[in-house]
Amino acid sequence: MSQAEARQTQRVVLQVNGQRHELDVEPRWLLADVLRHQLGLTATHVGCEQGVCGACTVLVDGKPERSCLMLAVQAEGCEVTTVEGLTPAAGLSPLQAAFQQHHALQCGFCTPGILVTMEALLRENPHPDEATVREALSGNVCRCTGYQFIVDAVLAAAKEGR
Amino acid sequence: MKPVAFAYYRPQSLAEAVRMLREHPGSKPIAGGQSLIPLLNFRMARPEALVDLNRIPGLDEVEVRGQRLRIGGLVRHQQLHEHPLVRQHWPVLAQAAGEVGHWAIRNRGTLGGSLAHADPAAELPAVMVAADAVFELVSADGVRQVPAREFFYGYLMTALQPDEVLAAVELPLASGTSWGFAEVARRPGDFALAGAICECRPDGTGAVTWFAVGGGPERHELVVAADANERAAQWQDLAATLDAQDDYRRHLAAVVAETAYLRSLGRDGQ
Amino acid sequence: MAVDMLKPQFTGARVTRLEDARLLRGQARYLDDIHLPGMLEVAFVRSTRAAARITGIDVQEALRTPGVVAVLTHADLPWEIRNDGFGVTQPVLARDEVRFVGEPVAVVVADSRYAAEDGVERVKVSYDPLPPVLDMEQALADAPRRVHSQRANVFFHSEHTTEGFAEAFAQAPHHLQLTFRVHRQTGVSMETRGCAAMPDPASGRLTVYVSHQSPHGVRAQLARVLGIPENELRVIVPEVGGGFGIKAMFYPEYVVVTALARKLGKPVKWVSDRTECLLSDAHGRDSVHEVAVAFTEEGRIVAVRDRVLGDNGAYPFPGFPGAVGESNWATNMLPGPYKIPHISLTVDCVFSNKTPLGPYRGVGGPIGAQVQEGMVEAVARHLGKDAMEVRRVNLIQPEDFPYRTATGNVYDPGSYSESLEAALRLLDYEGFRRRQAQLRKQGRYLGFGVCVFVEPSAMAHSEAGSTPYEAAFIRMEPNGTVTAALGLGPTGQGHETTMAQIIADRLGVDVKDVVVLHGDTDSAPFGGGTGGSRSGTIGGGAAIRAGEQLRAKLVKLAAHLLEAAEEDIELADGQAFVAGVPARGIPVRELARIAYTDVNRLPADMPPGLEVVARYQPPAPATYSNGTHAAIVEVDIRTGLVRVLDYAAVNDCGRLINPLIVEGQIHGGVAQGIGSAFLEELRYDEHGQLLTTSLMDYLLPAATDVPRMRVQHLETPSPSLGGFKGMGEGSLIAAPAALANAVSDALAPFGVLVTELPIRPEQIVAWVQAAGQGA
Ligand SMILES: Cc1cc2nc3c(=O)[nH]c(=O)nc-3n(C[C@H](O)[C@H](O)[C@H](O)COP(=O)(O)OP(=O)(O)OC[C@H]3O[C@@H](n4cnc5c(N)ncnc54)[C@H](O)[C@@H]3O)c2cc1C
Ligand code: FES
Ligand code: FES
Repeated sequence: MSQAEARQTQRVVLQVNGQRHELDVEPRWLLADVLRHQLGLTATHVGCEQGVCGACTVLVDGKPERSCLMLAVQAEGCEVTTVEGLTPAAGLSPLQAAFQQHHALQCGFCTPGILVTMEALLRENPHPDEATVREALSGNVCRCTGYQFIVDAVLAAAKEGR
Repeated sequence: MKPVAFAYYRPQSLAEAVRMLREHPGSKPIAGGQSLIPLLNFRMARPEALVDLNRIPGLDEVEVRGQRLRIGGLVRHQQLHEHPLVRQHWPVLAQAAGEVGHWAIRNRGTLGGSLAHADPAAELPAVMVAADAVFELVSADGVRQVPAREFFYGYLMTALQPDEVLAAVELPLASGTSWGFAEVARRPGDFALAGAICECRPDGTGAVTWFAVGGGPERHELVVAADANERAAQWQDLAATLDAQDDYRRHLAAVVAETAYLRSLGRDGQ
Repeated sequence: MAVDMLKPQFTGARVTRLEDARLLRGQARYLDDIHLPGMLEVAFVRSTRAAARITGIDVQEALRTPGVVAVLTHADLPWEIRNDGFGVTQPVLARDEVRFVGEPVAVVVADSRYAAEDGVERVKVSYDPLPPVLDMEQALADAPRRVHSQRANVFFHSEHTTEGFAEAFAQAPHHLQLTFRVHRQTGVSMETRGCAAMPDPASGRLTVYVSHQSPHGVRAQLARVLGIPENELRVIVPEVGGGFGIKAMFYPEYVVVTALARKLGKPVKWVSDRTECLLSDAHGRDSVHEVAVAFTEEGRIVAVRDRVLGDNGAYPFPGFPGAVGESNWATNMLPGPYKIPHISLTVDCVFSNKTPLGPYRGVGGPIGAQVQEGMVEAVARHLGKDAMEVRRVNLIQPEDFPYRTATGNVYDPGSYSESLEAALRLLDYEGFRRRQAQLRKQGRYLGFGVCVFVEPSAMAHSEAGSTPYEAAFIRMEPNGTVTAALGLGPTGQGHETTMAQIIADRLGVDVKDVVVLHGDTDSAPFGGGTGGSRSGTIGGGAAIRAGEQLRAKLVKLAAHLLEAAEEDIELADGQAFVAGVPARGIPVRELARIAYTDVNRLPADMPPGLEVVARYQPPAPATYSNGTHAAIVEVDIRTGLVRVLDYAAVNDCGRLINPLIVEGQIHGGVAQGIGSAFLEELRYDEHGQLLTTSLMDYLLPAATDVPRMRVQHLETPSPSLGGFKGMGEGSLIAAPAALANAVSDALAPFGVLVTELPIRPEQIVAWVQAAGQGA
């Protein structure tokens, strides 16, 4: 296809954090980029664009998926949830509070992807053991914390019934 | 790391999808995108158009039809891993699906995509070969059945035509055969360094199907020796014939074969 | 007022972090979150060759690409980064020769990163290949050629031998020769590098956002290279998603982006993708140590000779050529915690056609520790002794402090022996030996490894430059809340909390009422930034000093208002009061109000306002943290894979500011150590192509690779203000050596001594097979 055609945009309707957005996107735009740069939802981070690091993880219809491995056009008709959507208007969610309490973050770059993934884990399995938490966490790379305090925070949140 | 420009189509039926694939030269189906989008991001795949299979109804079903377990091409790895029918009839498939990537990858990646992509290190193609599955390939010309054992040609190469969709697979309901699965990876969730599926039939015959140690799934029939030392020699002899990357991989092939064998007997091969 | 007289309320406590809320809520602003109307994005055309002459660059087709605004090459942006002393300059876009795969050759500016990448594909660069210099031994002899034609590949050479070395070495009854090697690794911060520059049309100044560890460092370099006065440049470091040393360096891309913003008069942004990062972020490690060790019958090490060769890659980073930093640190700290009287060192650093080498957390510390502890293990085996016994024989004892090493360092007191014994207790060393023997009979190979480390911190010189001091600015606002600013560059270490803890204690206010600013050269005092584990000690010292000065003002005012002596005034819980008479007090808030808005009530000699700037330079050129890491691993001899089963870190970084944060640093460093020991390696092929250009190939430790760690704190205060010692790097210094020794121990039945990191699984299988064939 010619370059000019290629840059043509398509109108899509995205449902993100309970809000409806109508916007024009190029088919090739990654969901991560559209969330961040079109919708200004910059909590979702991009660390590899290859599915490995997990920083871009969002919930698609309640399940953790990589927003770097999904086109924005494909998200039409799905309910997308980012960390912004899991954050109360004021203060912190129970899981977020546990992260603060247990020092589960340092630079914070991996944190949104991890929060989203762990939130989904606790919904599916409200009382996971440490091995289950580590396994569910294994698709999210954190370079700062060595994971221990993240695991502690998730287990503590589970114990408190979130 | 951003894709080249392409057009995007979202068919609502299989018939529409295969028509689009035929009508748009340079088009490619996209399912979970867990292999295709990384390739797009690296600009190693440069399709003119993508035909999105995700909204085609009926492609994500799992059911027993007569003596066969039928699994739609759009069934996600995580579904495969958890589905009661798969766990009941093909536990080794459910187990293998659980080894594919990480949770977030499994939530989106599909069986059809994994088979069509044919990564030599992928688990599911090997299970299909081991299980003697039959693939249902649909194009604008109609449907053809291709046995898994004839489908994989080598590194990322298959019998699939550019305008065909892998709509479903069918596996025979296992009969008295016991199965074991094993793989070795650097980190949990990584592509395997070597993997094997072992089958043992009541009459003492069996087979091993390897992955990640050649251009694709490698299946060998054999009568597995009961004696551990003899068996080790069997695995080594077979592994020596593999077109693996290096001696280490051949060594691992023997290791995973033994583990898979022990597991097929219900023993923990560690 | 002496520090001891204070009753610290926050310093030393497990205070949860003040920066967390914004990070957890997803409201933090990282580099790529900076967006301005009309902002252009750039992508770089990077060299695909390790060594080649550029014979032509055709940008015509790229210019016709929709969305592309401009394509520039060296001809348009002829800036060069000078690297004092080595006779080498680095053009920010390659001039007529490329020297490593990934070197920027041209830049495409477009309305989006997508379009910029479309443009990059259409820039045609013609190369005339040259033989690449890829092997450091050969590079020593300028073979196959010189990386920079005007000078030899060896660009740094140093020697140091203690007096009497030769005799001591010769007279020792035992000798061993060992070669240690560590391959290339890198920091891989989860946030990639990036920068954004924008002209301010009103003031004519330029604002540059950069994901970096040292805002003032970037400003100085940009000013120097581009010839812009420093007061016309504002450098802002937004939230940084990890640094680990790589973000302490000054890179060509920053010059290009800043120059583009000036040239085009528009905001311009560059955010690296992961492949660019692996190609162009400072690589680390990559050195060889040929060691000869002489020792006595009891295992006392009397002399060590170390010949070091370091591969620096193609260019020296300004202020920190990585190979020199690595080798100097490793050799300088070679004795570690041991009394080794004689040392003979030779260091050579060479250029090669690989990515430039810079700092990665710990710099030369990990290889230094690997040599030091590998030596101990080898000596123990040679003598048939337990390695812990050999350690005990050689360790510096409490009565030896201050201890001057053979390399000229003066160690302040530490807890070397105590930390070793504590670590052995934590993992029940004796019990482990019994379990190990039993499991070996079942064909299971467990091993125990130890590293007793010494971490030099708060050095006068480090990758954060040669700023031996830090400055802290503190203002108490009219309502009694506190705003402080420091020239640090935190990348996740929690300085907003630790510095607030220190300041809050000085002022008797709540830690939550202290806001710590950093990262903006317009508001922060000049500082060295973060690197070399300097922030806690030097920055903390500055915070104490500034806090003391502001405290003195508050005390003076309170004494005046309460009609009491200054010596009798205490500050606590937001109140200034007369000691022992809490009722006779006045809220600090009220003091602040008076200081600004009711100035008639001030003492005659007190100017209005509550603002101070103070600087602090520690008394010694460095202060030395220490500790012991111990690891239990299991090696699967069939697959060559290693699992870390248990791990203990005993850490002494002087007075703790915040144990929670210290533990977080240790956990993270150990995880990186697991990566260093088993997973992480930047591999090149014979053409100089980097093979590990994605996170599918450069493997990082995941949650399932890292065990639960046990941490124990010891506190031997440093002579610095506050008694703090730096601790950002010790865990990554100690962990690889401890893990390497654990694998050596596990594989002792096969005669294996690990001397090369990372350990590849195929290597383990090969060792075991070779031992089997030999038997
Ligand atoms: C971090 C990470 C780790 C991973 N680890 C593993 C692992 O350990 N093991 C493993 O096996 N895989 C792994 N994968 C890959 C994953 O399994 C993919 O999901 C799978 O290989 C492709 O399935 P998909 O549905 O995502 O296909 P897509 O990416 O959508 O497509 C892949 C290819 O198949 C074609 N295609 C897709 N569906 C069909 C169809 N129904 N009919 C015809 N053609 C079709 C596409 O045109 C494309 O060429 C990993 C991926 C990532 C990102
Ligand atoms: S950016 Fe999506 S997984 Fe790394
Ligand atoms: S907190 Fe920095 S990457 Fe996880």
